[in-house]
Parts: sequence; structure tokens; C-alpha cells
Amino acid sequence: MKSFFRMSYPYILWIALFIVAPMVMILLYAVTRSGNGTITFSFTMENFARFLSDPTFLKVLWTSLRIAFLTTVFCILIGYPAALFIAGLPEKRQTLMILLLTLPMWINMLLKTYAWRGILMNFEDLSSEIRVFIGMVYDFLPYMIIQIHTAIAKLDPNLKTAAYDLGANPWKTFLKVTLPLSVPGIISGITLVFLPAVSSFVIPKLLGGGNYVLIGNLIETYFLVAGDWNFGSAISLIMALIIILSMYLTKKLDTTAKEE
Amino acid sequence: MGKKKPAWHFFTSGYLILVLLFIYLPILYVVVFSFNDSKSMISFEGFSLRWYEAMLENREMLESVKYTVIVAVIATVVSTIVGTIASIGLSKARPLIRSVVMEINNLPVLNPDIVTAISLMLLFLSVKIQRSIVTLTLAHITFCIPYVILSVMPKLRQLDDNVAEAALDLGANPWQALTRVIIPQIYPAILSGALIAFSMSFDDFVISFFTAGKDVQNISMYVYSMKRFNPSVNALSTLIVVAVTIVLVLANLIPALRERKNKKEEY
Amino acid sequence: MRKLIEFRNIVKSFDGQVVLKGVSLNIYENEFVTLLGPSGCGKTTLLRILGGFLEQDEGTVIFDGQCIDKVPAYKREINTVFQRYALFPHLNVYENIAFGLRIKKMGEDLIAQKVNRMLSLVNLEGYGKRNVTLLSGGQQQRVAIARALVNEPNVLLLDEPLGALDLKLRKEMQRELKRIQQEVGITFIYVTHDQEEALTMSDKIVVMNAGEIEQIGTPLEIYNEPVNAYVARFIGESNIVEGTMKADCRVRFDDKVFECVDTGFKPDEPVDVLIRPEDLTVVRPKDGVMRGEVKNVVFKGVHYELMVETKTGTSKTVKMHVVTSHDIHNPQAGEKISANDFYVDSDDLENKEMTDQDFISIANAQAWDEENRDLSLTKVTHDIQKTPGVYSITFGTDRGTEVTVKVYVVHPEYVEDPRHNIGISALDFFITPEEIQESMAISTDLKTWASAEAWNLQDDSSVEITDVKFDFDPAAVTEGSYDITFATQGREYKVETTDRLEVGDRVGLSFEPEDIHVMHKEVGDV
Repeated sequence: MKSFFRMSYPYILWIALFIVAPMVMILLYAVTRSGNGTITFSFTMENFARFLSDPTFLKVLWTSLRIAFLTTVFCILIGYPAALFIAGLPEKRQTLMILLLTLPMWINMLLKTYAWRGILMNFEDLSSEIRVFIGMVYDFLPYMIIQIHTAIAKLDPNLKTAAYDLGANPWKTFLKVTLPLSVPGIISGITLVFLPAVSSFVIPKLLGGGNYVLIGNLIETYFLVAGDWNFGSAISLIMALIIILSMYLTKKLDTTAKEE
Repeated sequence: MGKKKPAWHFFTSGYLILVLLFIYLPILYVVVFSFNDSKSMISFEGFSLRWYEAMLENREMLESVKYTVIVAVIATVVSTIVGTIASIGLSKARPLIRSVVMEINNLPVLNPDIVTAISLMLLFLSVKIQRSIVTLTLAHITFCIPYVILSVMPKLRQLDDNVAEAALDLGANPWQALTRVIIPQIYPAILSGALIAFSMSFDDFVISFFTAGKDVQNISMYVYSMKRFNPSVNALSTLIVVAVTIVLVLANLIPALRERKNKKEEY
Repeated sequence: MRKLIEFRNIVKSFDGQVVLKGVSLNIYENEFVTLLGPSGCGKTTLLRILGGFLEQDEGTVIFDGQCIDKVPAYKREINTVFQRYALFPHLNVYENIAFGLRIKKMGEDLIAQKVNRMLSLVNLEGYGKRNVTLLSGGQQQRVAIARALVNEPNVLLLDEPLGALDLKLRKEMQRELKRIQQEVGITFIYVTHDQEEALTMSDKIVVMNAGEIEQIGTPLEIYNEPVNAYVARFIGESNIVEGTMKADCRVRFDDKVFECVDTGFKPDEPVDVLIRPEDLTVVRPKDGVMRGEVKNVVFKGVHYELMVETKTGTSKTVKMHVVTSHDIHNPQAGEKISANDFYVDSDDLENKEMTDQDFISIANAQAWDEENRDLSLTKVTHDIQKTPGVYSITFGTDRGTEVTVKVYVVHPEYVEDPRHNIGISALDFFITPEEIQESMAISTDLKTWASAEAWNLQDDSSVEITDVKFDFDPAAVTEGSYDITFATQGREYKVETTDRLEVGDRVGLSFEPEDIHVMHKEVGDV
């Protein structure tokens, strides 16, 4: 059996080179001053200080968090009933619905966003924020529905029967049985929506018309336009930290909810 | 679950149809407007194939399609092989090693694309490798392997441990056990891993944007960089929609057909 | 017979946990050997070491005179039938069986010949083209056996192969396996936790416990002369009683000295005495060497299985006062309330924090409104003190409906029985006829109402109260006082008999000196 384990050596080498080393690079760049393309190894916290002391940057951060939060909330509000109703369909139609939901996910996101740009041309008086918001909800909604549906579909149907048997009406059964047990699905849905929404930079660029800047656009600018990799790395590190923190809080919320 | 009232049934079906309409709106839109006779994105002015012709004459767009396909094919083949071999190795690894490697493996999946993108860009820049189709392909392989592993690993762990042992017991050496017993059992998972890898690579924008050289661009980068609105993109999108639909329908039909064939052989 | 396999002092541990503690065992040609023991005893580990799937930490495995410690699994001339068969799901029956032959690159016609012979050996002619995943458990089992045997191994290892089958099929496969073993004439090493399987099929049984071999012997030896209580309990039904050896052929148990046939013990050595249920004969009380009362009768088809209690357990009797409840009606509030007087143990007041909720449940206090909806009791006032005496407690609702009852605080009364090391306590109680009639499990409720408890005097662990005796009819009980007796388990013997007896019958039990078997105490269990 040990000989089988050796088969993973090439991949372990690969991840060391292409996953771990690059991550370390971001970390290094974030805490150093800019040199001529190479790292000069003079450690500093000023990249972080610069971000956190400038109201313009903080406003961008706030906008990103706000729109990601709103997107997540709307995906849950629209997606939960959809997932629940799909789970109530006969098995064959459930499979069909899921297939129909997955199909657009396989189509290039840029192309779909581009199509929205065309559709939204018909509505000239929408603000940039609304346009970006529609694009984001559109892009992430299927992920939310599928996550929640998976959680609901794998519930033992006997649970519902048992609840009815114990005298709960359908609404009570939903509140006391289905909803709490589908929380893990909502949580993984949140992970799949909030996380990419915070860091998104294509949708704001294509639908927001260039004057709607999110933190992803900021990172892009500092890397590709300004060429300040140190500051760009610091921003992405701050973003990563916020994402990790929010994921941690969501998980925590989930476990406390379960304990109660 | 008891009898549902017709009104409730009506409501849930209506809701689901609305959700589907929302999700298919842009797709219907591009398909319809790809046949538009005018350049307008707002009004449909008669059927024509002019944008399909324009697409075929658009060198830059065709070039981007070519690069997208080349990179996706290479990334899929390499990541499927490396990912499958790694999964088999990891499934026999000590739990601690396995969980550490799996955590790292999940990083590109969980990390925002832009973080993966700039991390790879920094790597290439700091070791002074010119960004080109090579760096682009390396980057694609890197983010595709985790999806192959995530697809193959659960299937591997479902396998009865004893099945590999049974092969050894019957005199097969480890290589024979692998090719004759393990791989035949997990190949549906390998195929679906490959499919996911291909689509990830084909659709990627962010990581390509940061890791490709100036002379290469894939479809996403081409669309992103377009200065003016070009309805040929609608034609291209329509073709992609058709291709994706065919592949997905086949992917869902083939296992069902095979099952039916197997059942026939039973009797 | 030629020695085929030799385990020499095999030690194996997983994550610091020792699973095999130096096992040595010889296995001969053409033997059907069973490794028998509960899960976790190390039997499967030993088998996997022999198969080459695990490496021992210490010790050596000799196969056919040669050390095979460094030989990989696929080069050993041993084949295995795995626990859940481990058939290859992507191959049909024929290809599963042919797998080993194809690995050896055997010619196609030879393969066909051998596979077909195997299919008929396991009674699966004509099943070659079937999909293995759609076969029944028994058929999958046969394929697994054929797949292993087609390679003509010297030894076949079987790891709990019948575990997944239902009882009838299991019996059938037991006979089948024995037949196949005799037909092909090779060594079978069979791992199971099922003693019956071991007894029916084996030439030799190896009883294992916690990584060690307890006893090796033929089924008859193991059944009739188990070396200790562990083996005796594992093989067959048994009554095991603690006793002392007075002299050769004289053993004392159940407060009496009996004649036996066992020798070689130290004088006054504590021993375990085994009496098989089928060796006890039911006779009239005056003719028995032991006397007792039938506690339980189970019909087993050809015979009855009795539990005969020769010595009663520790018991305590209390009074149950049945009183009609007096609901108190509060017309202003439109509410009714009721509660019972109750007894409480001064020790409990001392040691446990008795809350208002505790009092409400002991007094069975309840209040309800005109629509019969339960109301919560929000007010509880009392003057209860820890010294014995009569106190009062008042329960009330939000709207002022109240009831006051008496509380008798009493000294705890224990019955302590040093001989059995058991203490038991219970309290008198008050109850209404309705509550008794509504009880769905009267014995359990009586225990709760009387706060009956029993415990081990040495370590304070709780002991089950197995017997609740009362002489009223729960469906038609009237006011008055009744005796309730709570008792723990006494000394009971399992007896097999064809006589029809009723629970409560007094019987005598007799046995011959050769029917009892005296065993040394298990090591580490004094």
C-alpha cells in the first residue's frame, strides 16, 4: 500500500511550487517596500497603514462588502423557495430542473455578463450599483439554489412524515424540521456567493461602466496599471483576511444555531 | 406528503418558471440577437446570419477561440492525469498527510480567483519568466488539478478497501491492481473531473488575465478588452451555448443508456 | 499431518494500541481452523498478517517451512474471501473468477475450463454472464469463494464471510463451506465471532481474547472443557457461578458443597463453576440438590428455556397509599388544581438541590382550566426542613388557584445486604387511582413514585431493580394501602427442559457430578 502513496509525490511537488510558493510571495510582497521588481527584504507595515488610513480605499472596501452582502441576501431570498419547490417535485423533474439550472453555469461568465450589458441598455435610468447588483445576483443565484437543494433533498423523507405524525402542520414542519436542517446548505451557499462577490471585478467593470470600483478593481489597478505589487499584495491580503473572518463568523453562527 | 392544493402547485410552478426565465434571459437574448439584421442591441430588425459571417472574418476573435481551446485541452489532459494519480496516492496516505495536502489543494478553489491570479503572476515575474502561453497553461493546470482531485477522491474513498487487496490477493501486482481494478471503477469520476477541468479552463478570465502574455488572449480576455460593442460576440456565444448543451445532454444520457444496456444483458 | 503455517510470537499494534500480544499458533495441512473471538480481539489482524496486507511489528510467519515476512501479498500462495466479498463491480461473474488466471496469463480455453469447474463447485452454473452487483448476498459469497479457489491456493482465508447473510442462508452456507473444504482438501482459516459457526464447521477452534489466545482445541474440547469463564461464556449457553474448591472433586457454590470430577486445584482456591443449561434437570423441589422459583419461561421450539431463581435478590417493601384526589376548584379564575401528599427522604434534601420543579413532579401537582388546558404552576411555597417531620407545601397558578398538601420528611431507610454487596432503598408514597389506571408501564412508574434505587455497596454504582411485586389490579385499584416490594436480581440458573412450567412454580434442580466443570479464574480477574 505504501507504493501507492508514492504516486502523490509529483503533485505534492506541484502544489509546493504553484500554490504554496505563490502564496508566500503575496505575503512577502505585502510586508516589504517596492524594489525594482525583486524583493528588497526591508520589512514594513506601511502598505497596510496606507490602505487603512485612506478614506477612499475604505469606501471601496465598504462598497464591496455591502454589495456582496446584498447579493448574498437576495440569492438566499430568491433561491431558498426555488430550492424548496424543486425538492418537492417528482424525482425525474427534479433532475431536469437541476440540469436546467446547471447548464448556464457551464457557459462563460464573461459572455453572460456581456449579454446583460446588452439587456440593460434597454433600461437607461438604472444606477451603476443596481446594474452590478443584478449581474451579481444573476451570476451567483444557481450556486445558492443548488447548495440549498442538495441539503433539502438529502433529508430523510421520514422526518417530514414523523413531524406530521406528531401533529405538526406543513408550515410548522417547515419551520421546525426542514429549515433548521437545511442551514448547512445555506451556509455553503453563502460561501459560494459572498466570497467571489466580494472579490469580483469583471461584473463591476462590464456593467458598472468603469465608475463603479470594487476592491477587485483596486487590486487590478495596482498590479496592472500602477505596477505597485507591494501595495496590491497588501490589498489582496486584507481582502483575504476579511473573507476568512466572515467565513469563520458564518461557521460559528451555524454551530451556535445548532447548539441551541 | 398529503395532497397538495392546486393553488399551491400553481404558485410553486409559476415561481420556478420565473426563476428559470431569469436564468435563461441573457442566453435567450444572445441567441435571438445573434440573428439580428442590425447592429442594435435593443430592437430586433429581421433575421440574418451576418454576425456569423462577421465572426468568421474576425481574426482576433478566432485566434482567441483557438488559444482557449489549446490551453483548455492541454490543461485538461495534464490535470486529469496528475490529479488522478495524486488522488490514488493520497487515498493511501496517512490521514494527517492527506488532510494537509487536501487543505492546500482546496486553496485555489476557495481563494478568490484574483488572489490565485496575482500570486501566480508574482511567481512568474519574480523568477523572471516571460508571461506567455506557457505561463497561461501552467496557471490553468494549477487551478484545474484541484477540481479533478475533488471529483475523483470521494469516489476513491467509496471504493471498498478490500477490492484493491482482493486484486493483490489474486496475484495482481500493484500496477495491475491499479489498471485493472481501481481505474475501471473510478473512470466516471475521472471523466467528470476532466469535464469540470475543461470548463473551468475554457471559461476562466481572471487568472488568464494576470498570467497570460501580451500576445495571447482567450475568449474571456477578448470580450473583456473589446472597445466597442460587437454583435459577433452574440454569434460566438450562441455556438458555445449549443456546444455546452450537447455535451451536457450527452454526459447525462450516456450513463443512463449504458445502464439500460446492462439491464438488457441481465435477462 | 504436516505443519503448514507457523505464527511465532506475533506482536502488532495500531497507533500505540496493542492488538496482538505475542501470538504463537501452528496450523496443519487440510485443517479447518476457526479463529473465534469478539470484535477487536485481533483475529482479523492475524488473518491480514498472514494474507500479507499488514506487517507485524514483531515475530515471524513461517509458511511451508519458509519465512514469508518479506513476501508481498500478490506473491503468496494464499487466497482470501473478504468480509464484504470485495467482488470487482466492473467485471461479471465469469471475469471475477477468471481474474487471477488472467493475471497468470493462462490460455483462454484453460481459463474457461477452470472457471466452469469452479462455477459448478459453488453451484452457480450458468451465472457467468451475470452482473455481480445484482447477485444476492449468498451468490456473491459463492463467487468470492470460487474466485479465490480457482487459483488452487494451499490455504484459503475467510474473514467473517457469512456475516452479511440472513440466518437460513448462513446455515446453508456453513454446510456448503464444509463440503467445499472437504472436496478440495486444503486448509481453511476461518475468522468469526459466531460460536455456532465455529462449532459446526471447525476441526480446530482457536478462541482469542484481547490479542491473546485463550484456548486451542477441537469443538468438543472447547465446549466441554473450557479453560475459563471467558471461553465458556463465548461457546454455548452457560451458567457460570463463583465457587471455591474444597478438595479434589469437592467444590462449594450456592452455599453447598457438591461432588464433581475436577482435580488439580489448590485447597480453597476460588474458581468458576460451569453448568450447561441442558445438563440441569428439573425435578420436584424435595428431590433437587438446589431449589428455586421459575422466573421466566421462553419457548424455544423443541424445548423451554427457564430462568430459575435459587436465591432471591435484595429487596425492600414500601406502602402505597391510594387516595382519591381532591381537585380544588377556583370558580373566579375558572381553574382547577390538584396535588398529592408525598414522602421525601431527608438525605435527598441534604444532598440534592431539590427545586420547585422536583416538588411539582413528586407531588404530581397539576392545574388546568375549563377547556382542560394545562396551566403552569408558577408559585410554590413551603416550610420543608431537613429534620424529619410533617411539613406543608402550596402550589399555585398565576391567577391565585392554590392547593396545599402534606410533606412527610423521613429518615432514609436502606436495606443493606452485605452478602450480595447491594443496598436498596424506596419510600412510601401517595397516589390516586386515576394515575395508576393511566400508567402505561406500571412497574417502571412504581419505581419512580417510590424513588426506588439499588446500588453496589462497594463502588456506589447503580444496580438494576429487576423485580417489582404488588398484589393489586392496576385497572381496578381502590383506596387503601398496598405493599410494594422492589428487589434486585438473585442467583438465577438458565435451564433447558421439555417440561411445561409456569412462572412462579417452585422447582428443584439436579445434576450429576460430571455435568459440572470447574475452571480456574481468568487471569487478571480476581
